[in-house]
Amino acid sequence: MNPTGSDSCTPIDISEQDVLEAMKKIQGYIDISPGDFKEVFTIAYNHAMQRIKDSLTAQDIMTRPVHCVGLGMDLVQTALFLAENKLSGAPVVDADGSIAGVISEKDFLAKMGLGASTSFMQIIAHCLTNKGCMAMALRNHPVQKIMTAPALTAGPEMTIGAISTLFVDRQINRLPIVDTEGRPVGIVTRTNLVQSYCVIR
Amino acid sequence: MQFLQKMRGKGQAPPRVSVAEVCWSWIGSFIGIAAVALLHYKVVDQNALVLLIGSFGASAVLIYGAIRSPLAQPRNLLGGHILSACIGVTAFQWLGVYPWLAAAVAVSTSIALMHLTRTLHPPGGATALIAVIGGESVHRLGYLYVVMPAALGACVMLIIALLINNIPKNRRYPEFWF
Repeated sequence: MNPTGSDSCTPIDISEQDVLEAMKKIQGYIDISPGDFKEVFTIAYNHAMQRIKDSLTAQDIMTRPVHCVGLGMDLVQTALFLAENKLSGAPVVDADGSIAGVISEKDFLAKMGLGASTSFMQIIAHCLTNKGCMAMALRNHPVQKIMTAPALTAGPEMTIGAISTLFVDRQINRLPIVDTEGRPVGIVTRTNLVQSYCVIR
Repeated sequence: MQFLQKMRGKGQAPPRVSVAEVCWSWIGSFIGIAAVALLHYKVVDQNALVLLIGSFGASAVLIYGAIRSPLAQPRNLLGGHILSACIGVTAFQWLGVYPWLAAAVAVSTSIALMHLTRTLHPPGGATALIAVIGGESVHRLGYLYVVMPAALGACVMLIIALLINNIPKNRRYPEFWF
């Protein structure tokens, strides 16, 4: 019923009993069996979800303005910048303001020396057992060296349905939205997506 | 196996309506049928014509007892009776020598036509059938049967439905006209 379940709230699982209760509340004889109503409801619900997925676009749900990291910043500056703005990632822009890549916690963790799929908890465990902080390895590196590039971006017209699919297929958590010149105008995160689906409800 | 499985039916029946709904259904159908029957016995019958036919009893169930139903809306009530009456009379006139065939053709063709014109109204099937099996008093009407009893009777019932069904504040008729 809902192939991209991880991105959306689960659809209402309406029972025939629910339909019967509703029919009792409505004055008059309703010329449909509860089972048939449920079938109509389910199809209509999916239709509505599809319509909303196709009508809501990136510009309706994105966070703006977007905080960007400069290409010239080093990792200490980047970490401070992200911490100050309570972000877990941001687009990286060059001197013209065009997008050059995306930097996120994942890139930092990968740089800290335990391989590409290092998790935060692995780093903690490693630090505690070795009595050392692996973050020192991040000193004196420019952001350019560890960011994910080229960045995966989208235009403001991309539908939330297409964005959801992209998030699942590419296993990403944020998608910078760029104008025609490639400058970031906003960012769609998983949080934005979840909120958009729950507002729909 | 699945063919037999389907015959078991696994759905539930709709709930019973409120007492108020029962009362308004009774009042509407009493007045509706009374109006048609009075006209029939006091005026029309004395001129050897017909206004009251059995299918109006079935229409009363819908337009006074199940007023939300798509089958009970004016488009269906009028369209169903008028189109089915045409089919019924035609079936009798063309196939009347084989009454069983005329009866079957009248009902089945009127259902098909009502579907195609989105005027499905179950009593229409009875109107078509009565045109074939209604006896001499119906047969001699010819295509007048379409106008009276079918169209005129349905109109009288519709007027009563509009008047009675809209009295209670949580009842409303029709859902749509055409």
